[in-house]
Amino acid sequence: MMPPINWPVIYPELAICITAFIVLIVDLFLPGRHKWVLSLISIFGVLVALQIVFMNFGLKGDTKAFFGMVVSDATGLYFKTIFCIGTLLAIFVSITYQRREFPEVGEFYTLMLLSTFGMMIMASALDLITIFLGLEMMSIPLYVLAGIYRGRYRSREAALKYFLLGAFASGFLLYGIALIYGAFGTTNITRIVELIADGKPYSPFFVGVGSVLVLIGLAFKAGVVPFHMWIPDVYEGAPAPVTAFMSAGPKAAAIVAILRIFVITTPVIDLTWVFWVLAVVTMTWGNILAINQNNIKRMLAYSSIAHVGYLLVAITVGGEEGVSSAAFYLLVYTIMNIGAFAIVVLFAEREEFYENISDYAGFGSRFPFAAITMTIFMASLGGIPGTAGFVGKFMIFSGAINHGFYWLAVIGVLNSLVSIYYYLRVVVAMYMRQPQTRLVDIAISPSLMIAIIITLLLVIQIGIFPDNWLSLAKQAASLAF
Amino acid sequence: MSMLIFYILAIVAVVSALMVVTLRNVFHSALFLVLTLFSVAGIYVLLEAEFLAAVQVLIYVGAITILMIFAIMLTYQITSKSIRQVNEQVIPAVIIVLVFFVLSLVTLIKTSWPVSNKSLPGNNTFEIGRQLLSTYVIPFEVVSIVLLIALIGAIIISRQDGPSRPGQEDR
Amino acid sequence: MFETLFPIFVLAFFAVLTVLIMFYLPEILGPKTKSKRKYSPYECGLIPQTDARERIPIKFYLIAIAFVVFDLEVVFLYPWAIIYKDLGLFGLFEMGLFILILLLGFFYIVGKGVLKWE
Repeated sequence: MMPPINWPVIYPELAICITAFIVLIVDLFLPGRHKWVLSLISIFGVLVALQIVFMNFGLKGDTKAFFGMVVSDATGLYFKTIFCIGTLLAIFVSITYQRREFPEVGEFYTLMLLSTFGMMIMASALDLITIFLGLEMMSIPLYVLAGIYRGRYRSREAALKYFLLGAFASGFLLYGIALIYGAFGTTNITRIVELIADGKPYSPFFVGVGSVLVLIGLAFKAGVVPFHMWIPDVYEGAPAPVTAFMSAGPKAAAIVAILRIFVITTPVIDLTWVFWVLAVVTMTWGNILAINQNNIKRMLAYSSIAHVGYLLVAITVGGEEGVSSAAFYLLVYTIMNIGAFAIVVLFAEREEFYENISDYAGFGSRFPFAAITMTIFMASLGGIPGTAGFVGKFMIFSGAINHGFYWLAVIGVLNSLVSIYYYLRVVVAMYMRQPQTRLVDIAISPSLMIAIIITLLLVIQIGIFPDNWLSLAKQAASLAF
Repeated sequence: MSMLIFYILAIVAVVSALMVVTLRNVFHSALFLVLTLFSVAGIYVLLEAEFLAAVQVLIYVGAITILMIFAIMLTYQITSKSIRQVNEQVIPAVIIVLVFFVLSLVTLIKTSWPVSNKSLPGNNTFEIGRQLLSTYVIPFEVVSIVLLIALIGAIIISRQDGPSRPGQEDR
Repeated sequence: MFETLFPIFVLAFFAVLTVLIMFYLPEILGPKTKSKRKYSPYECGLIPQTDARERIPIKFYLIAIAFVVFDLEVVFLYPWAIIYKDLGLFGLFEMGLFILILLLGFFYIVGKGVLKWE
């Protein structure tokens, strides 16, 4: 029996969506110099959504809604929390930048919110069609956001590349869904699991091809090697706050869809070895290419690929431990990555001229606070003990060892060591290099400071007292099984 | 008889699809795309999916190709240029596509398709409407928001009085 | 079902056949003149100054995009419209929501002055 309509389940999505519409309408009536109001509305809306997400954790009874299309389980809610935090931080990072660089584009916030809405749909979807629509909902605003800086050649290039490749990847996803539908006669994940439990015969080869195609579509969005080609160019070309936004939430959304389809529900086809290979390739390739990057946004782009590799280790491990460590790592990654990008946004002038790692020379003495913060973010991304990144990596690799994936853990740890090298390059540039080019000024603004301080505090807090956050992630995973 | 119609439609679809990706004039490619989509609509009719066929004609043949032709006409002197349809990566691309083709062919042949022995609903448009507004109501509403964001996105990207300021072009 | 739809294919077949005959018969039967003047766009008019394939303004594209979006909306209206009585209030509500969201898009394009044509 299909569960009936259950409105409270989609209240968080509704909150985000309604906020986006309000921003869209208010934008029409606001003169250019008052567009900051929109950011306030957006922040308020995301906070409301976050509150509803927390309330939904206590939702009693059947959490499925709308005829089994969406669900409001602990995993989904946990990821929705990540999306809300990511969007909130990204909005804080964007405010000043948006006012400075493209003040007329009030839709900026609408796009961000609707993209978040898509991610939330992906996190709560129980049906492949809904997952696909959530993915499109998430991606279309991102294509536009990447190219929102229309006066800039590289921004337009980023948008076009992202759009073409993204549309191609969506095609794979859709084809995979079609094959799975052909095999089972339904796209509902719960129903498919039921059918298999009932002993419905299916052709493993056929379903396997379908699953792999679905995986390709999602892996593209997450930036798994070999579907990572777009990441460096898009991350470099897009405006820095947009990069901060799309390096966090959309990755988490793609990962949660992968978790839901391939890990949480009884997997139809055992893809462990596929994930194993993908994890190793993604980690290694991302880290090796990051070493040689001089542009900090490109470096962070490759490092984000490497981080997806670590997440794939958790997915390979699977089970409760894998899901909880992936969930925890995504939270940590969102916070520290947006923090690092917030520092990149600090540059007061058009960042494309001042985004090389060498431009950070002399940062340490001129802007001690920003330099210390950046050092902490780099340490966290590299996984140095005492930071949140260390706890995240520790959870993933200990999970791998507990489940007998020794080689995976070894390769992962070696990769982390490699990654410390290029993260340290930034620190070395900040403290030990003399500035060679013209000195760049930074533009401190209250909103950016809020974002930096929040991320900084969270990174340190999670690094030193991770217990509460870990138990939250554990709860998210345990209820899923 | 229906097999004959199917083969005619399939041949037209495949041949014109080949034309789309081989012709050197982009405008002609767009026109052949219309033919491909139209034959696919015919196949839908054969499969007794009239609603899908109508949608195919209305949306794809009617609107999407118009949009493509508009985009071609917006582009500077692209219609009078002869374009290359391949680049230097043609050989790896052909290999990958062949592998994919063989893979899907093998899948299609080897699979025993789960054929429903229920007869089709007499008028499947009724059934589509019923499903769309009950089981698939969430995807249905999300579709409207996807459409909205596509509209907004297209306008932001192509608006003339956009955020580009004079002197900012860096190329 | 196939029997009811069969006339459509017959019609389509004859339509294509007629077009082909009307298109190619004159080419086979008709007299041919091949002069430069014959191939000019206006045989008895002004001599064209530039290429006819000019770039059209982006405004047309925006109209086309709006058309596609609202066209899709109509497509979704159709299956609802034929059984709206069965679906009852819930169907009406959901369809109202659907139209309202797209109406928002309409307000947006009007508000942004996309339809203004100076």
